[in-house]
Amino acid sequence: MNSILRRAGAVSIAALVAVSLAACGGSSSASSGGSGKKSTVYFGVSSATTGQYAAYGEQFKEAFDLAVEQVNAKGGINGHPVALKYEDSQSDPKQSVTVAQKFVSDQSISLVFGDYSSAASIPASPIYTAGKLVQYGFNNSNPDFTAKGSEYQWSTSITTSDTYKWTADYIKKQGVKSVGVAYLNTSDWGIPAYQAFKKEAEKVGLKITDAEGVLDSSDDYRPSLTKAVAGKPEAFVEIGYGPDAAKIVTQLRAIGYKGQFYGGQDEQSFDGTPDAEGSIIGSEFVETSTDPQVKAFVDAFKKKYPKEKDVTSFEAGAYDALNVAVAAAKAGGTSREGILKGFKEVKDVPSVVYGKITFDPSTRRVASPQLTPVVLKGGKWVPIAG
Amino acid sequence: MFDTLIAGLLRGNVYALGAVGISLVFGVMNVVNFAQFSFFGLGAMLAWFFVTQLGLSFWVALPLVIVICAALGLIINISVVRPLARFVPLAAMLSTYAVSQILDNVSQLAFTAQFRVFPRVLPTSNFHLGNMSFGTSDLVMLGVTAVVMVVMSLFLKYGKVGQAIRATAQDQEAALQMGIPVGMVQHVSFVIASALGGLAGVFIALYVGVANPASGLDTGLTAFVAATLGGLGSLTGAVLGGFVLGVLEAFGIHFFGDTAREIIVFVILIGVLIVRPGGLLGKVPLLSAEPLTGTFLGRGRPFRIPRWVWPAAFVVGGIVIPLVGGDYVLTTGTQVLIYAIIAAGFTVTAGQAGVLALGQAGPIAIGAYASALLTLHLHLSFWGALPLSGLIAAVIASILSAPIWGVKGHYISIATLGIGAVIVAIIQLVLPQGIYGIPMPSFAGHLLSTPRDYYLIDFGVLVVTLLLMWRIRSSHLGRVISSVGSDEIAALASGVRVRNYKALAFAISAFFAGVGGSLLAHQYTYIDTTIFTTLMSLLVVTIVIMGGISLPYGAVVGSIILIGAMELLRFTPELRIVVYGLVLILVVRFRPGGILVRNS
Repeated sequence: MNSILRRAGAVSIAALVAVSLAACGGSSSASSGGSGKKSTVYFGVSSATTGQYAAYGEQFKEAFDLAVEQVNAKGGINGHPVALKYEDSQSDPKQSVTVAQKFVSDQSISLVFGDYSSAASIPASPIYTAGKLVQYGFNNSNPDFTAKGSEYQWSTSITTSDTYKWTADYIKKQGVKSVGVAYLNTSDWGIPAYQAFKKEAEKVGLKITDAEGVLDSSDDYRPSLTKAVAGKPEAFVEIGYGPDAAKIVTQLRAIGYKGQFYGGQDEQSFDGTPDAEGSIIGSEFVETSTDPQVKAFVDAFKKKYPKEKDVTSFEAGAYDALNVAVAAAKAGGTSREGILKGFKEVKDVPSVVYGKITFDPSTRRVASPQLTPVVLKGGKWVPIAG
Repeated sequence: MFDTLIAGLLRGNVYALGAVGISLVFGVMNVVNFAQFSFFGLGAMLAWFFVTQLGLSFWVALPLVIVICAALGLIINISVVRPLARFVPLAAMLSTYAVSQILDNVSQLAFTAQFRVFPRVLPTSNFHLGNMSFGTSDLVMLGVTAVVMVVMSLFLKYGKVGQAIRATAQDQEAALQMGIPVGMVQHVSFVIASALGGLAGVFIALYVGVANPASGLDTGLTAFVAATLGGLGSLTGAVLGGFVLGVLEAFGIHFFGDTAREIIVFVILIGVLIVRPGGLLGKVPLLSAEPLTGTFLGRGRPFRIPRWVWPAAFVVGGIVIPLVGGDYVLTTGTQVLIYAIIAAGFTVTAGQAGVLALGQAGPIAIGAYASALLTLHLHLSFWGALPLSGLIAAVIASILSAPIWGVKGHYISIATLGIGAVIVAIIQLVLPQGIYGIPMPSFAGHLLSTPRDYYLIDFGVLVVTLLLMWRIRSSHLGRVISSVGSDEIAALASGVRVRNYKALAFAISAFFAGVGGSLLAHQYTYIDTTIFTTLMSLLVVTIVIMGGISLPYGAVVGSIILIGAMELLRFTPELRIVVYGLVLILVVRFRPGGILVRNS
């Protein structure tokens, strides 16, 4: 028995050592590559590289890596090269708080991006605030991330309330009188989004025949959808993400509903769903835009990642975020205080999402963000003329 | 109304196909097989890969998927499940959980985590019935379910191997004595179940329209509930359970909305189990042993811990670490300590009373929300809210779980899993928004907000918890609860009210879960229901099994290993979960009774 145990111990230790050696080998060669004369500026990334939100973590990483490459090719931050340190939080608060502490304790880190979800980002906020480290929640569309946060929480994501206020106005402008709604019943995203939509719809006189709360973990929405369209609304609004919208639009057509679909997200599975064709959303980022800045980004992205067929707003948001952080560091300095100062000062930072980014110092979000109506045609979102 | 019925039958069809495989492997191995859920996602991704990436025809891809899943099933059974299932079904269950983590993450490394549009290899909406449309795919799926059910029933009834499978399911040791190659039989059934899992995954993805490596989990869990509903081990029951659940769920969603889906599913399950403790068509397990009885208690003895270890551990944990540990170590330490508190309390239920409750996230959530609301709205101090939230968690969890204590065997695990999910779902309905700005603890006017402060608070609570657990175990009450877990029938014959003591044990565990929840809430300062997941419940169970199921101090060791390892493995981000799973399997393989339990 003892010999078996000893052998097992030896095997497991050997396996661990082997893996760790392999990992160390990989990381050391990566970090020694870009060292110039001036010291490297490190940004931390707290995101999900495994677990249920890993899909988003992958997209962020691709865009971040591209942006870092471009920044360093142009001389970095006043000669200092930029590098990222990734930590996997699985977007789980249990891990995002330890990741936050790890970054705060690491004096070389001067800013942190993330986390993905509010449930992981907000519990980490007090730690970043105490460590006087800017937590740049570039993907946090929940208004409370910044509203309930401190001066160290910043975001360039458009808030859900802005998005769905715009959506209600836009639908009304199209002459639609009544809508059926399905919204994600999630506290950090779907519910505040629906409340914003409902408030605006009441204000502009858009009738909501029925609103069904749904879960993104469900696979079958038919019972909810039959109820949602029972009042024969002229159009249908889905307040949610791409994968659930893909299921909902498919099943909505399967139960015979033919009205206009407003919803979905610029995301691979939704873009590729046949029934999603013709759906309309308001978007900050338009891949097919003719803007030279956007074109350059899309081309560079596809060149670096030839496998990716689409460039979505997730990638664009992360790409922008890195450039904003670099602009802030150029303006205020590469230390933690310097970057905070930079965030308060930067103006008109070039952006592939908004054209130019200037922060509203009171909300610590982008001042007056604009949305463009886009329609899904042949798997691509194209701006609606006029 | 007619539309809802059709919608229910369509989804019931999916559950039925999933449930057949789950029921089969459970009947033969007596193991809850979490890896089965991974096969749903894996089957879907493999089919997607073959059809869209390699351009194979669906009818070539389908057998390929089945063969690959079957082969993987065989490997898993030989290497992980079978060596453990004979002696310690609980350890086997834990290792299937580890296997499912590995499978999901390898599948994610291979196919990425992106949601993919599943190819429409069969028409999905070419027929109409009322307002509903359905497709050839639904008919094929129904046909596959029927064929699988009929062939498997005939095979089990008349086939030689089938009869051996049934004999093994009835009494493994007797079967072995009659010369049945039990090992071979278990391989065969595991292979069949894995193949069926892959097959079901393909049809689920076809029905849903999109798939990613983890997307089988939720439908898989519901299929598992369907199998339980029908009676684990009964194939007809699995199919019946699938359709019953599908239709009732559809009507439930029609009346109460999709947000109530989890509540509906588990209320149906618990309702059925109260009336028929063995499921719709399953046999009522009159004398069935609890999953824990006679495994850990009989087969292993805890290591004798020398006396000097206790003061040494106290000095290291309470003085050395806070003095020398950096903030990162201390923050990791807070998470380790809080889960140790929750798990140490849980040993009363899992170890002493022998009830493997799978829903601890429920009482943890109650404690967290109670503490947050008490301090925010009644302006109670943290120190008052902490014990109160434990009490509230104990009371509410006890009331909600009161009806289920007559349920036995694995069924009670599933029922408590349901209770946990229902508690969290109810909180989500009542308080849909997260709670912000939960006050940090303060003492004598000082705000306690550094990692060191949190660490010391958590350490103090853990010490109190362990002292209380030690008192309970050495008291008369503790011995009575242990008697229930060691031999329920003997306890019953001696006049012990088994049901009541199980409920009491659960209440004690819920108290500590509530306290742990409160500690989490005041550290995070923000909570919402997405924090309290089934994975959290499984983590608590895993910690307890890892340390030695009835050892409160074992829970501390388990917590250090399971939460500490996640942090230690940060050097290999891509393989973190895979290595974590492998470590888990190795530990379980060579220490099936827990780290601190001697093998016998």
